[in-house]
Amino acid sequence: MALLGSLNWLAAHQEEVNRLNVFPVPDGDTGTNMLLTLQSAVEDIKDSPATDVGRIARIAAHGSLMGARGNSGVILSQIFRGFAKAVEGKTELAPAEVAAAFEEAANAAYRAVLKPTEGTILTVAREAGRSATAAAVEPRATVTSVIKAAAEGARRAVEKTPSQLQILRDAGVVDAGGFGLQVMIEGMLRSFEESDVDLSKIAIRPSAQSALELPEEGWGYCTEFLIAGEGLDVEQIREQIAALGDSVMVVGEPELVKVHVHTDDPPRVIGVASRFGRLEKLNVGDMSTQHRRILEESQPNGSAATGAQKRANNVGIVAVVSGSGLVEILKGLGVDAIVEGGQTMNPSTGDLVAAVDGQPYDEVILLPNNKNVVLAAREVGKLSSKRVHLVETHTVPQGIAAVIAFNADKPAGDNAAAMKSAAGRVQTIEVTRAVRDTHSNGMRVKKGDLIALVNDRLDTSGSEYAEVVADALKKLGPEGYELVTVYRGAGAEDADVEALSASLKERFPGLAVEVQAGGQDHYPFIVSVE
Amino acid sequence: MVPLKVLFGNESFRDGVDLDTQRFFDRLSQVSKLPTTSAPSPGDFAAVYERLSRECEGVISIHIGSQFSGTAEAARVGAQSVEGFPVRVIDSRSTTMTIAFLCLVAAQSASLEEAVQRVEERVPKQRIIALLDTLRYIEMGGRVNRAQAMIGTMLDLKPLLGVAAGEIKPLDRVRTRGRAIPRMIELLRDDYPLEYVAVVHAQAPEEAAGIAAEIGPELKQDGVMMVTGQIGAVLGTHTGPRALGFAYLKR
Repeated sequence: MALLGSLNWLAAHQEEVNRLNVFPVPDGDTGTNMLLTLQSAVEDIKDSPATDVGRIARIAAHGSLMGARGNSGVILSQIFRGFAKAVEGKTELAPAEVAAAFEEAANAAYRAVLKPTEGTILTVAREAGRSATAAAVEPRATVTSVIKAAAEGARRAVEKTPSQLQILRDAGVVDAGGFGLQVMIEGMLRSFEESDVDLSKIAIRPSAQSALELPEEGWGYCTEFLIAGEGLDVEQIREQIAALGDSVMVVGEPELVKVHVHTDDPPRVIGVASRFGRLEKLNVGDMSTQHRRILEESQPNGSAATGAQKRANNVGIVAVVSGSGLVEILKGLGVDAIVEGGQTMNPSTGDLVAAVDGQPYDEVILLPNNKNVVLAAREVGKLSSKRVHLVETHTVPQGIAAVIAFNADKPAGDNAAAMKSAAGRVQTIEVTRAVRDTHSNGMRVKKGDLIALVNDRLDTSGSEYAEVVADALKKLGPEGYELVTVYRGAGAEDADVEALSASLKERFPGLAVEVQAGGQDHYPFIVSVE
Repeated sequence: MVPLKVLFGNESFRDGVDLDTQRFFDRLSQVSKLPTTSAPSPGDFAAVYERLSRECEGVISIHIGSQFSGTAEAARVGAQSVEGFPVRVIDSRSTTMTIAFLCLVAAQSASLEEAVQRVEERVPKQRIIALLDTLRYIEMGGRVNRAQAMIGTMLDLKPLLGVAAGEIKPLDRVRTRGRAIPRMIELLRDDYPLEYVAVVHAQAPEEAAGIAAEIGPELKQDGVMMVTGQIGAVLGTHTGPRALGFAYLKR
């Protein structure tokens, strides 16, 4: 039984294969996944009375699909599927038929993957097929000589994988899945010729993963399951799953589809998939944990992950702000990520895209909170992988009002509209010192004067904080408002804060006046009027 | 022999005539004091139904939502032991003052069948809007963490919650109580037209009266019955002091 030979040989090399796994993300168990997939195929064959190769191959294909785990396991199941298709209806195989089956196996593997990558198990399967085909046309070709050629082709292809993939080159290893396939074909060959392959070719390789750093956002979750149903549209399922993660593999038949995806949002994947049919053998693994465990084995002082609760509406909020107090307020109100910046430090579109893409949500509301940031923010939607809803807040008080209006039970679009209108109801007074003589909005200002900007327009000037803020408030018409919030900046003295607060309360008895620590630079006071 | 009795908890009401609406509501709003954890047994209900079977031709038995309490289930089982006497058990899907309106609707019906039909129609129309004065309730509910609650308290955020179909949902959050009250009224107006409204409060009678005065005329013109009342002790422990709200039936 050739597959049993593969199984035993792969079992013997499982750990070696596991240690090689660096692509596409380290999830640490390529060898185990391939072994378990193969095991599932072998068990089904053992349980079956079939003796002809066509039926055995079909059972193996079905068994491996049912048992497929991980990227490599799913590809392996497709290799079996291609092989089975090629030998369908046959009772025994001629050398040329074996070679054709290897070729078809590789083709099936390529078809299973959304974006085939060279230097992986796919390349190894293809090279094994090509070598087998070349050997099959030799005059004295036998089944054993064809399999031997396939094993040799696989070995050569595996050795070349580091030249095809940067990530393997960097880690100084060969591709794990490819090596696993090589080992399987070698095991198959061993059972045919009962002779050892050259063991010296299989050197013990160093563990690849300890060479990689764990990215801060983690790797997400390796999510796998079967969809059982009738008339399942594999293409359509693949398309929808592909939008939710990477390393996507969706394979199968109209009655049974195997899904493998690396995603940050397994519940969503499960939700989408369950619309197609009944889910079985659901398995979600945290790859960050897997990888972290590997790191911790080599470095005993590894740190643990921090869990965060996700929002029901799948909407994240990213805001631009600076100043320790303002950051704390926005975070406390529910902002998920802060991009440091504002008046003088304008974050790049790239900074914003990175923050938006880092959210574990499908949709993100972006609050620029400064008119100098609005343009960069407008580009984010085109570049981000998320659906971005830009609420064009021009000031920090507008941003705060917007976040307060956010409702985690409502969809992103409704929230964006509510946040926009909330931002529109807030007036902003920003107080600073003129850095040069200027003439603006019909006013002449000297360097060093205190000036108040109302909604970004130069409005009043003077020498006392209380005076310029009160003047600005008078122009706004205090009777239309109820609440004044003063965010004190890094440059404001206690005495200034007290004088301003006392003066506003005295002059505008109808207004509630609150002072909060903002900690912003450049503006000793930012005042929100609502 | 009266045609029907309205039963809620252990109290039965013959009809809405000899109780004025305000007193009726006040009494029923205090029903939230009834322990919801220890539902009466089917035997208790059987005994009450047995007694009522000698006084009237049928009973409509309205109960705390089955998602909160086993009362309705116990009533249903109890009703089966009184043969030949019609008892219609209604699961109100609610716990609070809107049940008072359901009882009132039943009491004003001409027959048992009409009462059942009219009450069942109104079960999905029960709504509550609540303005809380503290974030403590939603902090305990896990919707905000301690740090967020601190920021919320610092900024004087008042959460507005809604209850529909027994589910609590945040409707909005507004800075300062002075601005939250008009917002609460605005949210109520979004749900017009209404059939019954109760303006309820926990130790805030002046504000409740002010709200009633503001919406009273428009509701009266619309033919809507409005009452005011206190939030019962049990519900009050959830909302905290100074909570305000509306309990109402949409038309």
